[in-house]
Amino acid sequence: MRFRATIENVDTFSKIVQSVEKLQKRCTIKFGEHEMRIICTGDANEGGIQVWSYIKVPSLFTDYRIQSNSGNEICISLPSEALLAALRSAAGSSSVQNSSSAVAADMQAIMKLAKKGEKSVLSFEITGLTAMGRSITVIQHILIDVLRHSEVERLKEPLCPEPDVHILLPPLGKLRTVVERLRPLAADGVIFRANHSGELQLAVNTENARVEVGWGGLTNPAMSTQSQDDSDAKDPKRMHGVLVSHKCLLKFLNSHVVSTTTIACICENHCVILYVYIGNVADAGGVLTYYIPAKFDDGM
Amino acid sequence: MSEDQPRVLTASVHDFRYFAALLRGVNFANRASVSITADGFTVTVEEARCLTATAFVFSHVFDEFIYNPDAARPSQRSQPEDEDDELTATAFEIPLGTLMDCLNIFGTAGLAPGASQKKKRSQGDGDESDGGVGGERANAKGKGRADDAPGNTTLDQWFAPGKGTGMRMSYAGPGHPLTLLVAEESGGPTATCEITTWDPEPRLELAFDSDAAVLKIILKSSWLRDALSEIDPSTEKLTIIGNPPPPPGRAARSSAPPCFRLKAVGQFGSTEMDYPNDREVLETCECARPVAFTYRFAHITRALRALQSSLKTSLRIDDEGLLSLQFMMPAPRRPGRRSQAFIEFWCLPLEE
Repeated sequence: MRFRATIENVDTFSKIVQSVEKLQKRCTIKFGEHEMRIICTGDANEGGIQVWSYIKVPSLFTDYRIQSNSGNEICISLPSEALLAALRSAAGSSSVQNSSSAVAADMQAIMKLAKKGEKSVLSFEITGLTAMGRSITVIQHILIDVLRHSEVERLKEPLCPEPDVHILLPPLGKLRTVVERLRPLAADGVIFRANHSGELQLAVNTENARVEVGWGGLTNPAMSTQSQDDSDAKDPKRMHGVLVSHKCLLKFLNSHVVSTTTIACICENHCVILYVYIGNVADAGGVLTYYIPAKFDDGM
Repeated sequence: MSEDQPRVLTASVHDFRYFAALLRGVNFANRASVSITADGFTVTVEEARCLTATAFVFSHVFDEFIYNPDAARPSQRSQPEDEDDELTATAFEIPLGTLMDCLNIFGTAGLAPGASQKKKRSQGDGDESDGGVGGERANAKGKGRADDAPGNTTLDQWFAPGKGTGMRMSYAGPGHPLTLLVAEESGGPTATCEITTWDPEPRLELAFDSDAAVLKIILKSSWLRDALSEIDPSTEKLTIIGNPPPPPGRAARSSAPPCFRLKAVGQFGSTEMDYPNDREVLETCECARPVAFTYRFAHITRALRALQSSLKTSLRIDDEGLLSLQFMMPAPRRPGRRSQAFIEFWCLPLEE
């Protein structure tokens, strides 16, 4: 099993990790020949939010070499916080680099799979310049578990029914402000709903207040699976909603650091699926897919 | 209920930050009594049966203020028009903290234009932290200086009226919620909030007898705010001491007792702060005889938020020690309108 890559786009990589870091202590990364998948399954976190991401290798790495017995795929599980810390230190040295406007070629972050005694590690070799202008190399090892083939087989993306509505979300940063402010009122969860006329609503109910925040004029992207007359048959004004936990919604909104376009798909009273595109949709370097399951409550 | 049903109160404003600043000054207890009259409304909260605070929100704070006391009781419409003033006041109770949360749903309630995002973030969690925003407003307006804010803050405040968040508030009568419509910008998101109201309950009535006032001081709010925020938070008691000012025309001797002194006694010692009888500091100081009354410091610090957003403070104590603090708020940006809004605190002294 061999794996080695130069991280070209440290900033984007660390933002992606930052978006999923809050979900769970450990995440699973599946390196393939053409893509990297970061996976957080819902079993270890509260509320059951899951992330399945798909990131194209060229959008983050160069000199990407992978070799393994299971179809050149390597699947590891590692502490997400440590990964983020390693990437941050790489990003830090690159920013020093930029500010001193020296030759960019000197800065390099190499990620590779290695053995340290009996244990497998993912090692990050970060070469940069010190403030004095001298070259310095920092090596960080993150203890990892290499997943066996049978364990990889058990990782299954959740199956969802055909969504009732697709909608393009407003900028996640703005959405996050509102969701954060709803916190004192959202003990019972947040109702996330949308219709086919470009309207999105977040609603909370408590005994003190009922609050409904609405956005209008959003886009309902046309989905290839959905035939034109099918959407005509539905009432375009009818809201399709799902009650989700406030915590999960906030965790998803951590991805505002990396998002450009986000599409939400609502399966009424079942789940919300959120596609966070990295880069623009047409030429996306990858997509983070969040699944937030419905929270069942009498308040629904 | 339908839209066209008559409503007891409809009020709207295109930028509610001034309104929010008034409410924030009394936002230390969740249950607040609201009393509406044709001139505006008051929001009153109390704590531990010895502190009450009222924000006076006059109708001119709003762009539109329609009060229709008869809307809720159509059966009494036949009654003669010359009712008492008391009858024409509508009262109910609301969760004030929730109202503030709703106003601030887009994170815009406490924000003077140009203030940094960071300040906004920290606001709302702690008592101390959310002061910075209002304080900056007071600084910029009151003293014409803004050391920590960018230099154009003051100008922005006057010339960027379009930046604010608009609000429309309505109340249909007893049993109905207080409905708030908050919209950040045209085309942007809108929030519809229905805030539960309750029937009013009797409130603590603290009547200040101005004839019996033994100490009357008017000073800039910042002078009092700086002193209070300097005192260690573990302090339990605060004594307010007043002495008659020296007769005019004679220079004050350094040995003369100070006109106005704050004395704080806490676990780690005591602090005394004297205010000189200087027109720069104490705008007026009337004191007939030496007085000293002690208050619970935690109650006095409830006034910090109001101090932060106000310009001047009138501090009065009557012969029984009842403390009245009136905070004059900066005038709303409406030329040619009447009185300024203010917040008033009343606090009973500790028995000694």
